[in-house]
Amino acid sequence: MHGVLRLKAKLDGEVIKELEPVIGYLHRNAEKLCEMGFYCDNLIYFDRMDYVGAMNMEVGYLEAAEKILGVPPPERAKWIRVIMAELSRLAAHLVWAGAYGLDLGMLTPFFYCFGEREKILTIFTEACGSRQETNYMSIGGVYQDFNEKIIEEIKDFLKTFPKRMEIIYNIYVKNDVFLSRTKGIGVLSRDLAIAYGVTGPMLRASGVEYDVRKAEPYLVYDKVNFDIPISHKGDNLARFLVRFEEMRQSLKIIKQALDKLPEGPYFNPKAKKSMMIRMRGDGEYYARTESSKGEFGVYIVGDGGVKPYRVRVRSPTFKNLSILPVLSKDVMLADMIAISGSIDLVFGEIDR
Amino acid sequence: MVDIIQESMGKDGRKIIQVSVENLIPLMNEMRSNGFDHLSLVTAIDRKDSIDVVYHLHSMDRNEYVVVKVNTKNYVVPSVTGIWPSANWDEREQYDLVGVKFEGHPNLKRLFLPEGWIGHPLRKDYDLSKVQYVNMDEDGEDYATFDAGDGW
Amino acid sequence: MSILQWIYSVLSFLGHDVGYALAYIIESIILLIFVSISLIVMVYLFRKYMARVQQRIGPNRVGKFGLLQLIADALKLAGKEVIFPKERDDLPYKVAPFVVFFGLVLAFAFLPYGNLSIFGDLTITYSDVSIIFIFAILSIMPIGEVLAGIGSHNKYALMGALRSVAKDVSFEVPMMISVLAIVMMASARTATSLNLESIVTTEILPYGILEPIGLFVFFIAMIARASYAPFDMGESDSELVSGYSTEYTGLRFGLFYMGLFGTIFLGSLLVSLLYLGGFNGPISSQVGFIWLLVKGIVLVLISFTVWLSMPRIRIDKLVNVGWKYLLPISFINLVLAGVLTLGLGW
Repeated sequence: MHGVLRLKAKLDGEVIKELEPVIGYLHRNAEKLCEMGFYCDNLIYFDRMDYVGAMNMEVGYLEAAEKILGVPPPERAKWIRVIMAELSRLAAHLVWAGAYGLDLGMLTPFFYCFGEREKILTIFTEACGSRQETNYMSIGGVYQDFNEKIIEEIKDFLKTFPKRMEIIYNIYVKNDVFLSRTKGIGVLSRDLAIAYGVTGPMLRASGVEYDVRKAEPYLVYDKVNFDIPISHKGDNLARFLVRFEEMRQSLKIIKQALDKLPEGPYFNPKAKKSMMIRMRGDGEYYARTESSKGEFGVYIVGDGGVKPYRVRVRSPTFKNLSILPVLSKDVMLADMIAISGSIDLVFGEIDR
Repeated sequence: MVDIIQESMGKDGRKIIQVSVENLIPLMNEMRSNGFDHLSLVTAIDRKDSIDVVYHLHSMDRNEYVVVKVNTKNYVVPSVTGIWPSANWDEREQYDLVGVKFEGHPNLKRLFLPEGWIGHPLRKDYDLSKVQYVNMDEDGEDYATFDAGDGW
Repeated sequence: MSILQWIYSVLSFLGHDVGYALAYIIESIILLIFVSISLIVMVYLFRKYMARVQQRIGPNRVGKFGLLQLIADALKLAGKEVIFPKERDDLPYKVAPFVVFFGLVLAFAFLPYGNLSIFGDLTITYSDVSIIFIFAILSIMPIGEVLAGIGSHNKYALMGALRSVAKDVSFEVPMMISVLAIVMMASARTATSLNLESIVTTEILPYGILEPIGLFVFFIAMIARASYAPFDMGESDSELVSGYSTEYTGLRFGLFYMGLFGTIFLGSLLVSLLYLGGFNGPISSQVGFIWLLVKGIVLVLISFTVWLSMPRIRIDKLVNVGWKYLLPISFINLVLAGVLTLGLGW
């Protein structure tokens, strides 16, 4: 959990009878801000949505904006975006893995996770000079090409990370107390999950094999080989295991993408800096991408001007959070915390 | 079969179905029984004199997307919360930010902004120059005022 | 010769009454200093050890190796503005931290500390029923927590207090019964079998070897009594902000914090005295105190490791652990102790 959430709970002793989440404490109205900026400016608001895995947000926005403006990125940029998006997914899942331990009262894995995340952020710094709100991609490509050093750093990371990840994984799953807090707690059935619009690892843990990267491949996800981890249990532990398996698949994708990274331009010359603010968008486009939290959709309506007429964001955690009052009815207070931790909340994205 | 005003193809290759407000609920019921079990997104777009409400429907089994649009002049649309529970928060958010009233919604309150906020920010005529402050009362509930208050 | 006698021999020119009175006061001050210093060392040790486990550096800015960090922290806490909640219940709110802390300090006075070269016997006070006294004090400390929970007029504090009392009660009983087993075995050898010192001095083998089950139960119950993870639901930060100490600031919060580390130190010393031979060891007539300290610190480090690697148990499961598992096990242990004492004549 990351951000500010207020939960109004009616308790009967330790058992929750009624729960009402109160959100909006991080509300900036990014959708309104997007209406006021040029298409190229708006990227920064998306960085600040899911700030723990910012590259995924950029991919989501650019998928829609580039289609509206008609400036597709070149092939090399697509591969670079895939690498960065997957690194970002790893970074986001690491934040979740550490924070989940904190929610359950386990201090140590948090530092292990953030130590690993730091290495990913170092790669981001090398690529664009910024750690969290990277603003690395831009309309028509990426801001800077990969140099030898970045590729070397990513390769180093790929070598050291799997071992460290297994250590973190074992700290959790070999702990009986952790298992007693997660196994069979917060069971989310398949139908309920779909009806409430739950997506991402939470949906896959409930037994639906749905991943936008497979269902509607964007960028070059149809050219890489990876699996969708699913589980039919639907409890906290299933969500935990699915997320860790997803991290392993992300590593697989990065490895393939590094091998297949083509030479060529990293930027569409039609989207030069001087041209950027003059680009006009028309029509409407709904792009959906798989962010680390679920299906991240960006719906842009253009009216032929240099600024979008309406931007609407489908935030996955917003939908995932709406299931919390249902899941935490008649459970103990401590279990509610465990469930809300397993949803992977980031409030930059929920409140927007 | 429900009357459809217009059927077209969007830039993203998704079928757009335009219906009138009266026919929205019958169409949505039909869609739900056709296997569109996932309501992905509810969007309200302020068209200055009227409001478009756009529903993105998705079928998990067939992996198919359909867009349903309604246009309303008097800012009132029937709620689809009874068909998809996930519309609950989406409609509250759109009510909060755009100011569409969803008829039959079980709990149509503001979601992000505090109670008492004047105006709906995503309207095109929203006055940005007016500063509103959010205060907290004794019970921890938020409310909005035009003066800065005591800093809370 | 104990410290009291030693001080009295210096002050004997004042006469019997005044001399002893002054000696008691000085002794209390020495005790307070000892407890404070050992708590500061404990916190420093904890922070360094935690940093080592978590691959961090830990305190390293104030003084050499960050040794003065804790003193700086204590001064900062003491100098902070004290904020009182508006609707507090005044007396319980103000008294609660002192009940917890001074109860703890008092318990330290009745531990036998053994010898240390030229200082002789370091034990502060003798009592023929010191075990009963120590456990009586240990059951006063939850009262301080309840007072804090009720006095704060805060939902989190109240729930935290209720949780910690439920926890303390359900682990108190197995703890006492495993101590009873030791008293039973010791009574075969000494007339004052409720005296901690005579239990330790008359043992042939450490009781932890004779009854490992008792050691196991007592150690778990000790960690639970000290509110260490996985039994720290009383002040679980993700659910109840900070439990019964939510509304406390400044020095009073510091006292609660010290109480947390003091209880684990006291508990470790108790475990090492009761089960691991305490100040017994090679050349214990010279360095008995060192033996006690080493055993205690090793036990403290073990509890730290448990803290750092365990999530919190849910409160209902915790109470189950206390009543349904530890209590029957401790009864079995009691029966075994009886068999050992009467049947085999150990």
